[in-house]
Amino acid sequence: MKQTIHNLYALEQLSGGKTAIHRLHPIAKLLATAVFVVLVISFDRYATLRLAVYVFYPTLMMAVSETPYHMLMKRFLLTLPFCLFAGVSNLLLDTNTAYVGGGVAVSFGTVSLVSILLKAYLCVMAVLILVATTPFSGLTAALRRLSIPQMFITVFEMTYRYLAVLAGEAAAMRTAYALRGAGRQAVEIRDMGSFAGQLLIRSIDRAERVYHAMVCRGYAPGAQVRATDKITLKDIGFLIAVCVLCVVFRIIGPVELFLKIFGGILSC
Amino acid sequence: MLKLQDVTVVYPDGTKAVDGISLTVREGERVALVGGNGAGKTSLLLAAVGVLGLSGGSIEAAGITLGKKTLGAVREAVGMVFQNPDDQLFMPYIYDDVAFGCRNGGMSGAEVERRVDETLGRLGIAGLRSRSSLKLSGGEKRMAAIATVLAMDPSVILFDEPTAFLDHRAKRTLVTALRSLGQTQVIATHDLVFADEVCNRAVVLKDGRVAADGSLILLRDKALMADCGLEAIN
Repeated sequence: MKQTIHNLYALEQLSGGKTAIHRLHPIAKLLATAVFVVLVISFDRYATLRLAVYVFYPTLMMAVSETPYHMLMKRFLLTLPFCLFAGVSNLLLDTNTAYVGGGVAVSFGTVSLVSILLKAYLCVMAVLILVATTPFSGLTAALRRLSIPQMFITVFEMTYRYLAVLAGEAAAMRTAYALRGAGRQAVEIRDMGSFAGQLLIRSIDRAERVYHAMVCRGYAPGAQVRATDKITLKDIGFLIAVCVLCVVFRIIGPVELFLKIFGGILSC
Repeated sequence: MLKLQDVTVVYPDGTKAVDGISLTVREGERVALVGGNGAGKTSLLLAAVGVLGLSGGSIEAAGITLGKKTLGAVREAVGMVFQNPDDQLFMPYIYDDVAFGCRNGGMSGAEVERRVDETLGRLGIAGLRSRSSLKLSGGEKRMAAIATVLAMDPSVILFDEPTAFLDHRAKRTLVTALRSLGQTQVIATHDLVFADEVCNRAVVLKDGRVAADGSLILLRDKALMADCGLEAIN
């Protein structure tokens, strides 16, 4: 259980890096990610080729920030079953032929499935890179400065912090149960009710103590963090570059353009 | 300086945890707040940082009277190290835990980093910077919990049972660390040997009241200690 909690926060440990991406202001990274995600989502379900170009963002960000690919990929794979579940019906229902290449017919359903997977990959990777290159406190401070509703930020903060509290309490109770469980490792159904109830009570109690420790060190839900880090020209430059590239790729579709030009040359 | 005047704390169920305590802790003093279980030590400390509301009396820290509007200022002046370090270490990594208070105080990224490194170095736990609190020993957790408060540079630090969960070696490290701190300290404990080594004044609590206040010789008073549920040191 402790290892699971450790894995949960392993990505955030990377945020302490010193690369150019890590040094960017959280607001710049947050806005760039938001623009990227919105533009990726805005494509229709058959725009696979146009979407493919957007791989530039996670690839470049990962390379410059020296974020290990396998760590992000492992987390992306967790979302894969949901994406497949969402896309597999298209495969069965949308059977009209979209392309024929090398004697193989590719249906619109297949194209839309690939498109869903690609969209999920791009969005999840962009968000994971944001988390891996920005400290959690920086993210919440950025959300506050962007005037995101306080309720949303507080829920976000508390969920993140109390996840470990809840898991820690569950681990302690499970160990105590197993030690007196005459060889039973899992909690039996007849004990599940009182186990869950006790877990809730213990977690609330512990969460209250954690909350006290937080307020004793200056935490006040709703209070603006007195952030003094300024947004520099470099941050603005990064944000503009990402936005311009994403918008340009949204409008012109470089892969289709490339295929048209070279397809034309080859046919001549 | 910490000044408590006629402080009373009553829990919602009617239990009077602190009953009219008056106490003045002078600058640089290290006061041992000793007493048996339920004597009111923890309640008094929690009241001093405004976690528990006062049912009566007043508290003044570094010249600021504790109130709704001054809560933030008092908490900047008075730091508290909780009994269980797990309650204090809630961030994924020690660096973030130590930085938490500094960030809330509005320090810049560079200043936070400097403070954290300086504090960890001062306590001899620089190696814990990137470690998760889940993987630390009891002694390491305790030192990290102290670092979280020390980084905010308060003028008064309150310790609640700092020797709980510590073995002999960790206790020795803690004694050295607390002795080296320049801040005013109030240490709630029933570890009298520890109190004798670290503090220069003893306040004995019983049933939420001050039973005795004076030099460390009180910790050797067998009758007094036995009356308060403690075992006097030789």
